[in-house]
Amino acid sequence: MIELDRRTMEMLEEVRALGREHIRPMGLEADRTASPPPVDHPFYLICTRQGGLISGMIGAEEGPTSLDWKPVRNFLIGEETAYWDRGVALSLPGPGLGGPALRNTATPEQRQRFLAIFDDHSTARWGAMAMTEPGAGSDVARIATRARKDGDEWVLNGQKMFCSNSARADWVVVWATVDPALGRGGHRAFVVERGTPGFEIIKVEHKMGSRGYETASFVLDDVRLPADNLLGGESFYESRKGFKASMATFNMTRPLHTAHGVGMGRAAHDFALDFVRAEYPAQGRRRQRALERLARIRRRLHTARLMYLQAVWLAKTGQSNALEASYAKMYSPPIVLEAVVAALDILGEAGVRNDRMLEKLYRDAKILDIGEGTQQVQRVVVARQLFDFPRDA
Amino acid sequence: MRDFALAAEVEELCAAADRLGRSSLAPAVRDHEEAGAWPAAVTDILDGFPLAGLDLPESLGGVDAGCLTKVAVLETLALHDAAGLPAADRTGPTVGALAACPDRALATSVAASLLAGEASSAFTVPDEELGSSELFWGPSNPPLRWIWACAGSELALVEVTGPVRPAKVLAFQASGGVAVPFASTTERGRWDIGVHAALAVRGRARLWAAAIAVGVAEAALQETLQYTTDRVVFGKPVAHHQGNAFDLAFAASRVHASRLVVRDAAASFDRDEVDAGFWATQAWLETMENAFLVTDIGIQLLGGHGFIVDHLAEKRFRECRHLAMLAGALDAAEADVAAAVLDVPDALLAGLEQQR
Repeated sequence: MIELDRRTMEMLEEVRALGREHIRPMGLEADRTASPPPVDHPFYLICTRQGGLISGMIGAEEGPTSLDWKPVRNFLIGEETAYWDRGVALSLPGPGLGGPALRNTATPEQRQRFLAIFDDHSTARWGAMAMTEPGAGSDVARIATRARKDGDEWVLNGQKMFCSNSARADWVVVWATVDPALGRGGHRAFVVERGTPGFEIIKVEHKMGSRGYETASFVLDDVRLPADNLLGGESFYESRKGFKASMATFNMTRPLHTAHGVGMGRAAHDFALDFVRAEYPAQGRRRQRALERLARIRRRLHTARLMYLQAVWLAKTGQSNALEASYAKMYSPPIVLEAVVAALDILGEAGVRNDRMLEKLYRDAKILDIGEGTQQVQRVVVARQLFDFPRDA
Repeated sequence: MRDFALAAEVEELCAAADRLGRSSLAPAVRDHEEAGAWPAAVTDILDGFPLAGLDLPESLGGVDAGCLTKVAVLETLALHDAAGLPAADRTGPTVGALAACPDRALATSVAASLLAGEASSAFTVPDEELGSSELFWGPSNPPLRWIWACAGSELALVEVTGPVRPAKVLAFQASGGVAVPFASTTERGRWDIGVHAALAVRGRARLWAAAIAVGVAEAALQETLQYTTDRVVFGKPVAHHQGNAFDLAFAASRVHASRLVVRDAAASFDRDEVDAGFWATQAWLETMENAFLVTDIGIQLLGGHGFIVDHLAEKRFRECRHLAMLAGALDAAEADVAAAVLDVPDALLAGLEQQR
């Protein structure tokens, strides 16, 4: 298995300290108030001043072509931050899900242009990515946001929803289609910068859980963009590269989702483990039952971690990981929910109290099986690769 | 295992095992069951690998190629026919016991008899509450002579010295099979080796079964994919109905998960990690749970064809359950990991554990 170097362990220790002091309290507060931490929250500045240590899974300048690309390290950091609070982890400054989108599609000049803002360590900044629309969720091929070339400019019209951090982002990577009849071949990725006329946030969602980050909807009403805002340039989109690029993005975000799930599951496990140590009698049927359930949780979370690490390792070594990314995404969410439920059961009736964190984790965890492609979407993706499952089945 | 890749020499060994399996095992699976053995030509080749000595320490006459190598080869062979493996791999689940046995001379002598093809061995986890009066099943080609028993912190070796009886059991008929009353055995040693070492011994045995189960589950998946993409129902292949497609995707993900945990646990043994036995037992539990699901889907999607012996789906279904009954069965394994879970740190983040 993966062996961790000293620097990675140091970083994880740093994350753990930050998690205990800041991330979990922020998550509990966000859950209580049903609103994410404000953009000027002091912790965001702490992160920014540290150069975005825990700001995202992929560093601003890093990518598969860089020797400095440390996806395993970054994903473990993602797991650890989610251990303390996944919502807050997703709200941390940085390019967010826009990072892998840029990595997979942007030209070097575009990377410099859009990622350089994260070199300014005096102000917290965010990036975001928007794919989902009111009429296209799991089936991303059906996105209807239109992109039309008008002279040297692109004009975007449409609506996006469930977009993390878009209300506070400096820019959003927006996926649109130049022609729905072209299907996936019509997909293009654009960077829409905050303040661009026609770009308007219309709603910040109220959610059951995962309240530490904002989830917003926005409209694009004749948004005019310079040609340079088309990621990768027009030549990039020949041979269906556009859709493949968006899928390549998912091939990294799906394992990241799994990493987050492992972190959340570990949090539930540790909470229950401490409870058993402190509260359960040293002998007895309940203790034995609890230990067996904890052992099962440990096993399944360990398996989920191996699955996401292997998917990331494949990417790191330049190998295709689409199948393994979906395997990991399929496996993890039910396991995390099982872990939280087991922990709740171990606490007994006290588990439902909202000062115990576990009831919050129960509400938080369900989104793991929805975001980045539901359980059902993963099965479709896997089936297509296993035996050419037809698209119209 | 470093970075999830098998070493080139392990890949080569697996490729050789795959060629052997394709040419000599897969075409005659039912014949092997009927005969109660794999052909001598096959076992001779496996002795040349040497399968039984692959993960055995050099000090015991093995080639010490490591546990990861062994599980990879076992998985490959089981993909083609698992039924003869308990007999062909004469050290099989007992490698951990041989390595942990404090009486080195005795262990060396036992290992020598196994490597020479003079005897078979078996491993059991006696039930301390119910008591165990016999070994219910062990391979018998060549005759079963050595039985290792490991419960709690204790390891014992008995030698079969009295009458045994043929055992008709659920699967693995190509390994023969005998039941051994413990009254027909003579104890050769009993040692308190400590809780960690004993769990490692049991974990090593369980990992052996898990590796075979991964191969069986992979074979079940492949056959199910083949059948369901060929056979047409309601106007399209069975696999193209979404409910079935979802089951197949699920099965594939679980085979993948099992392979990862088995290899991870094997690598843990190769690094002499103190909790290798815990993680190997966890790998077995994970793999068995998954293998049941996969082989059950394997029968289900074949419909009536899955229930008849014209296909191998029913054989794999039986084999997975049989593997789960070894080494004290799953309940003993669950008790083992439950007993250790409060003390075993996170496999990857152990260095951080104190800071929680």
